Amino acid sequence: MNYQNPKIPEGINISDEHPLKDFAAMLIGVGVFIVAAFVIIFALAEWLVRFVPFEVETRLAESTVVGTLVPAVTTASKTQKYLTALTADLVQQQQLPEDISVTVHYIEGDTVNAYATLGGHIIIYQGLLEKLPNENALAMVLAHEIAHIKHRDPIIAMGRGVTIALAMASLSGVGENAVAETLINQINFLTAMAFSRDQEKDADDEALKTLLAYYGHIKGAEDLFALFQHHQSFEPPEFLSSHPVNQERIDNIRLFQQANNYTGATRPLPPL
Amino acid sequence: MFDIVVFLSLITLGYIFGRIAETRHFKSIALREQQLRSILCFSERLPPPLSEPVETTLVAGNVVISVDYFKRIAASLRSLIGGRVTAYETLIERARREAILRMKQEASNLGATTVCNVKLETASITKGKKQQIGSVEVYAYGTALIPTQS
Repeated sequence: MNYQNPKIPEGINISDEHPLKDFAAMLIGVGVFIVAAFVIIFALAEWLVRFVPFEVETRLAESTVVGTLVPAVTTASKTQKYLTALTADLVQQQQLPEDISVTVHYIEGDTVNAYATLGGHIIIYQGLLEKLPNENALAMVLAHEIAHIKHRDPIIAMGRGVTIALAMASLSGVGENAVAETLINQINFLTAMAFSRDQEKDADDEALKTLLAYYGHIKGAEDLFALFQHHQSFEPPEFLSSHPVNQERIDNIRLFQQANNYTGATRPLPPL
Repeated sequence: MFDIVVFLSLITLGYIFGRIAETRHFKSIALREQQLRSILCFSERLPPPLSEPVETTLVAGNVVISVDYFKRIAASLRSLIGGRVTAYETLIERARREAILRMKQEASNLGATTVCNVKLETASITKGKKQQIGSVEVYAYGTALIPTQS
């Protein structure tokens, strides 16, 4: 018998496909799947969170935002009383569902800001109030924030924030305990998270309607954004910012003004 | 952001150097296989019927080859969707052929013409350890038949 070892042809045990081609195909496939999965999860989370009763949101706010973002005891100052009264008037115009309550908090300090957070709390800083030229501009701010609360935007933003945090944590492979810890630590930050541009635009529209109903015109509304435009030396492009750019908001107000052509005078702010 | 830069650099580095090393290795394997073709290798336990007296001795060849970063990522992507792990196929192929070559080389140095009862052992060096680049070890051994001068 003649024994021999024949030469084995190459490529039997290994595929000759280029490794990069294989890699790219896998990367695209897996990437598309992950993105699709996250989009669905985010959409679902945002949609589901709307069904959280306001009562639950209030309790959630008590354990998270109240005491840190919202001062526990609000001073019964003249300004606070005035803001509370004006807010109550505007709330009436917007016809909020009965279970939703709005609380306005006046905070002393130079910060030029106002925002709505969980549990129907609106925070307005002295810095902003001092810069406002008239009551109508203030009403625009308040009506805008009330509209956020009416649309349940804070809880939606929180749902989105929590989902993103969870996704990030699970992607970076953090253990379960760490996830919970991160969530608790960040919940304050998450609830203060910016709303989406659509939510901002909807809140603007709602606020304009409120102003129209309350004053009979919307004069003074654009003063607010003109003010922002004046004070903001650098305005980031819209895709980088969660709020619509000020000029766009002013244009939006002018369009609304053209459609509802009522005129009137602005009301001055009472001495505060 | 920094993580992404590190990741991309590692994957590029892994791909470039891994690919160069692999191409070079395959060339070398093909050349040496041609050179050592005269030594016959069989997996049978007993040698073929012999016409001349022989001495027998154990010959062995051992090799460890590491996965590069690119291969590891490609394989972990593959583990999500299943299928042929082509990234590791070349690795095992190289290790197996290199181990046999080293064994053959030893047999050749001893003046053997045949190696029978050839067996292969494969081991993963970083077994079960995460966050580590794995390496594969292949150990080839057999009985070399050395014709005695008569």
